[in-house]
Amino acid sequence: KQHLHAVGERDEVAIATLEMVVERLAWLKRRREEEGREGEVDLAKRLAERAR
Amino acid sequence: KGWDDDEDDGEGLDDTDDLDPVAERASWKLRELVRVKREREELEKIEREREEIERRRAMDPELRK
Amino acid sequence: MAHLADAKALLDNRGHYTGQTFHGVNPLLLVEKIIRERIFESLYWKEQAFGLNAATLLDRAVELTYIGGQYSNQRPTPFLCLIFKLLQLQPGREIILVYLNDPDFKYLRALAAFYIRLTWGATDIYRTLEPLMGDYRKLRVRGMGGWRMTYVDEFIDELLTKERVCDIALPHIKTRAMLEDADELEPRDSLLGSEVESEGESDAQEEKGASSGDE
Repeated sequence: KQHLHAVGERDEVAIATLEMVVERLAWLKRRREEEGREGEVDLAKRLAERAR
Repeated sequence: KGWDDDEDDGEGLDDTDDLDPVAERASWKLRELVRVKREREELEKIEREREEIERRRAMDPELRK
Repeated sequence: MAHLADAKALLDNRGHYTGQTFHGVNPLLLVEKIIRERIFESLYWKEQAFGLNAATLLDRAVELTYIGGQYSNQRPTPFLCLIFKLLQLQPGREIILVYLNDPDFKYLRALAAFYIRLTWGATDIYRTLEPLMGDYRKLRVRGMGGWRMTYVDEFIDELLTKERVCDIALPHIKTRAMLEDADELEPRDSLLGSEVESEGESDAQEEKGASSGDE
């Protein structure tokens, strides 16, 4: 539940700009690549992760 | 993933791509062919209908505007 | 500029809605009342979709593992909740295109495609979505009847040809053939390219070729 950070406490949320969107997506992509390198093509681990 | 007491996560259905690239592309090709055929037929149908209306107008001056 | 974190405020202001309209209506009303209520009640909406903007929504969208409308006990899928969130946020065209054209996250692409179908104009919809009909990655679908498999191309085709997808009644648009006939749309270049001219006439022949894996 780390996603329920401070932003969830307020009534308003800052509108994201195009730059923020592009940046966020690039970051998520890097993060996924790093995760992918750790458990490369390991189906058992992938399933375990999905079941978590 | 823990929300809404979701127990059935559909694990039996694997959406991993490129497990069998040749078969995956082949089945896409069939779907695309069906779509292309369907699109052609729809367009032909509209054209036929319009021609039919024009033909009737030409035959019957009463129907002309 | 800021969004209200909670979509309800946009709806309770009856008669005072000042936001952008699509097809002449408040976009949130594209989702039927009963489904809206189920979305508001769902844990996913309350815990995962609260306080998102068009950038942080990506965190949730890249985690999607299936599409669909309602499932089991008429629960809304996370996919449906995020569609509703997008209708609330109404991100600009460029942002939606970033979602759509990203090659790595297929469920994000499906999400953007659905949003485009709900909110853009007809010719724009065809021109933007049809090029993705060459994307044959698998998508899991969850519905009231359980799970099934579809593909990005098939999902796009459904969005363009069906009246109801993922338990949402899609805004009415002219068919591709009607738009072509009225010269509002160029004929679609099939992604099969030149193959279609020779092979399109004979499906039986094509099937034979495909199963032997010709390329």
